[in-house]
Amino acid sequence: MPRILTRENAIRWAPFMVLLALIVLFTAINPSFLSQRNFARIAIAAAPALMVAVGVTFIIVMGSIDLSMEGVVSLTAVLFCFLMLALGGTLASGGWIAIPVILVVGAAIGLVNGFIHVKLKIPSFMASLALGFVGTGAAILLTGGDIVKFNDPTFRALLTWRILGFPLMVYVAGLCLVLAWFIQAQTRLGRYFYAVGGGEELAHASGVRVQHVRMAGFSLAGFFYAIAAILQVAKLGQAESVTGSNFMFMSITSVVVGGVALWGGIGGVWNTLVGVLIVAVINNGMVVIGLPDFLQAAVLGLLVIIAVILSTDRRAVAFVK
Amino acid sequence: MDIQRLKPHFPWITLLVLVTIVGIADPSFLKPANLLSLAGDIVPLFIMALGLTFAIYIGGIDLSAQSMANMITVVASVCLAPLGIWVAALCILAGFTLGTLSGYLTTRMYVPSFISTLAVGGICFSVAQWLSGNRALNMDATQRNETFGWMIGRTGIVPHELFIAIGLLAICLLIERRTVLGRALKAVGAGELAAAASGLNVARYKILAFAISGGLAAVAGLLFSVKLSGGAPTIANGFLLPAIVAVLVGGTPLTGGVGGVLNTAIGTLIVAVIRASMLYFGIAATQQQMVFGLVLIAAIALTIDRSKLRTVK
Repeated sequence: MPRILTRENAIRWAPFMVLLALIVLFTAINPSFLSQRNFARIAIAAAPALMVAVGVTFIIVMGSIDLSMEGVVSLTAVLFCFLMLALGGTLASGGWIAIPVILVVGAAIGLVNGFIHVKLKIPSFMASLALGFVGTGAAILLTGGDIVKFNDPTFRALLTWRILGFPLMVYVAGLCLVLAWFIQAQTRLGRYFYAVGGGEELAHASGVRVQHVRMAGFSLAGFFYAIAAILQVAKLGQAESVTGSNFMFMSITSVVVGGVALWGGIGGVWNTLVGVLIVAVINNGMVVIGLPDFLQAAVLGLLVIIAVILSTDRRAVAFVK
Repeated sequence: MDIQRLKPHFPWITLLVLVTIVGIADPSFLKPANLLSLAGDIVPLFIMALGLTFAIYIGGIDLSAQSMANMITVVASVCLAPLGIWVAALCILAGFTLGTLSGYLTTRMYVPSFISTLAVGGICFSVAQWLSGNRALNMDATQRNETFGWMIGRTGIVPHELFIAIGLLAICLLIERRTVLGRALKAVGAGELAAAASGLNVARYKILAFAISGGLAAVAGLLFSVKLSGGAPTIANGFLLPAIVAVLVGGTPLTGGVGGVLNTAIGTLIVAVIRASMLYFGIAATQQQMVFGLVLIAAIALTIDRSKLRTVK
């Protein structure tokens, strides 16, 4: 009989246990935490964040990092609103075309990101950080610093139309998560992400075209950032150059807290789901039990540090930069 | 002519070319008074870049510099009244301590520096929000002038900030060129494993590099808050990108080991001239971030030492 209490199992199930423990803790302090209404609130907060985090999961599995999400989400959100308004301002009047267009735009930005990283041989954190700045800059340029309102009731049904108490966007995010899982587990590309993350030189030696896989990964990430941007616009009814703020810190924290190793090759989108829920539950729970909201950034910071420390096998790394 | 031998000279040649171009387009740009006030305005950014140089020189990065400066503007505004001049000591100590924390997490806990500094930046942001109550704060004008007025005045046409900048640059140059610490940082930047193998206490020197970075980011925040006579949790946003650009276009590559603080001085001047020229050529302030993002990519691509990166992650 295989032992259940191994180190591997402990690491695998730790994030889920943390999530359960948090829910129990917050409920014990304030029972109204455990209500359907509050869970819907958490789900709404988590849906766009989940899409960003799923996108960056592919990158982190490859052992790289993507810090461009704030800029990409802002830019695609702004572009989406402009395009929607140009196409008549409602989904029904042809505005739906904006959705696939924006998804392609997101993927294209991601591809540029991957291209800069792979072809110019710039470490991904810096290439993506720089491109993120460019994205935010472009969003500022397009909007002139203003807010773009977009309030089509059909489109906002993503937020307002509820099934079983949860808005439609939660289900959309769920479907996209399944899509991400499919790519991760059932496609060759998904396996290649793990091959590259597990050992780039070995992957290269076994015939994986590492550069192409990397670029495809960044492109896929951009695609998911664009989904996040659309959900964020549905949630807020507007877009501006700061629409994507906070996503960088939040999504990386989520991914790492969920158990995806920063060194690559370990974890996947289900870990990310748990991680996003942990972060969303903490953010929501802190408000519910009456802690001031200025603590959130510090708590996220501590969380990501603890998660990295716990997930690092210190015998395996020589030094870090 | 060998391109590799020319490479160290690129930064000041770039600077000279840029100044010439802008000078030809707008001769009034070259007036000493204009150049000096331009240089004076960029000093808080320069001080932050000076600190970042140490983090980048050892092959790391400090993404907390901006949040640090934000937090310090708040701390300075809140504590000026009770502490007077000692607020400067408090600020530098806070920056140094938090920088030490980043360094400790990076070296002893094996958290990559971009994550550890991002996390420490989160802590700074929380502290800033807590201390300020999420509002913009103002310093008492008379007290500011009594305590820190000397920082922001002018002697003739020379802004006082420049003296501060030159003083800090001299100290950093001394550390870099004439101390054991400076040599050790060079060794770590050039090859960390070799440095460790030759018996150097690498972790200690790396922690010190991050601490210096934090300390100087705090000085930058202090000077910025004195200039603006106030502080807020997001007031220094927009510093990080040009500060990193300044270090990299100055010629300290992301891989570390070459370049140094003098390069950063030149890099900061390049940033200042780019900014001024953008205004002159009618590029709106809203586009600057985009331009600097592109400059950053170009600067990294040109300076990075690819022989040090077996696989680029």
